[in-house]
Amino acid sequence: MKAVFIFALMTLRMLFRRRTLWGILLVILLALGAISSVPNFDVSNQGRFILDFGLFGIEIGALLLALGLAANLYPRDRETRTLMPLIAVPLSRWQYLLGRFFGAALVQAAALLVTCLGLMLILLFHGLSIPNDLLPATLLIIVEGWFLLSTVFFFSFFTSPPLNWPLTTMLFVLSQMSVAEFVNVLPSAPGLMRAVRMILPHADVFHIKDPIAHGFEIEPVYFLIAIFYGLCYSIFMLSLALAVFRGRDLK
Amino acid sequence: MMKLFIGITFSLIMLLFTGCRTDYDISEVAPQDFLDSESHADHDHAPGEACTHEEVLLDEHVEDPHAGHDHAPGEPCNNEESIGEHVEDSHAGHNHAAGTRNHGTQWFFNQPWAAPFIWGKLFRDGAIFLTLGIVIFIITGRRRRK
Repeated sequence: MKAVFIFALMTLRMLFRRRTLWGILLVILLALGAISSVPNFDVSNQGRFILDFGLFGIEIGALLLALGLAANLYPRDRETRTLMPLIAVPLSRWQYLLGRFFGAALVQAAALLVTCLGLMLILLFHGLSIPNDLLPATLLIIVEGWFLLSTVFFFSFFTSPPLNWPLTTMLFVLSQMSVAEFVNVLPSAPGLMRAVRMILPHADVFHIKDPIAHGFEIEPVYFLIAIFYGLCYSIFMLSLALAVFRGRDLK
Repeated sequence: MMKLFIGITFSLIMLLFTGCRTDYDISEVAPQDFLDSESHADHDHAPGEACTHEEVLLDEHVEDPHAGHDHAPGEPCNNEESIGEHVEDSHAGHNHAAGTRNHGTQWFFNQPWAAPFIWGKLFRDGAIFLTLGIVIFIITGRRRRK
């Protein structure tokens, strides 16, 4: 695991040097600022609106970060031929994948925490209180971001980056659907659609913006179960990605 | 080989757990008391009958908009107005405590954070995906070594 740790740190430094990260972060923060600057027209509970849309913005930010950080990693390593010497001696393929994943996951988590801080500052600027569950809600979005990151890695091993973006976005949209909505996409084959939906994650597990915006308390055990679910699904996607990567002929 | 066997057996046992369906929405697997909670204060249903609380409250007033007032013979009834009166009044006779189900809030309470009966299923799904991940990792590693 020491090799994975060192490679993850290398990945982390490399990603911090890239302009993509800072560009996406700036876009998210500008979007949060724009949400808060929408006039409330004397409607009460403006804080509810800022929280709801702010957390939604952070979630979209998690998708953009996953794509921006990871869609290019493997294709670029292959194109610049840095992949061959790496997996020839110091790293096995699973160590390469885990190193790249952990590095990108840490950068993504740091960026999402910065956006959470941005949202807190916006709430304070408007004289609104910060809900207790805002940080745990961001933590759940971070876990959802890791799931998206593992999906991006999975697609990156057999598609080009321009195709990776729509595929991951499509999976993101499909995983937001309830079973009934998903079955309605192809109502003539409900059994097949239910079976396919079983493999997709339930992304609504990570969404707690509604109760937070309406001042509901959430039981702590729910956070643990949701995090466990998200991490397990990320491991499953990573193992699928590794299965594809192991089968690739890199010559 | 033994790890593989244990992994697959474990996944199958988890899939056969009571209450397991191919996949589910919260509204599909919710117990009746969860769907009914706090919305039946002033009306009853036959067992198994679906609740259409909003419908009951609105329709019982709308269907008979002349119940609370009389007209002189030949006097036109300002029907729309009276319907409006009754619709507005339909929520006047009862209150919902904060945090309980209310009219049209099913979408809000049919979310995983509000449905503790789904948490066990989530845990089970997580365990299945974890086991499948480990099994795939082992199988693809073995194939590569061969």
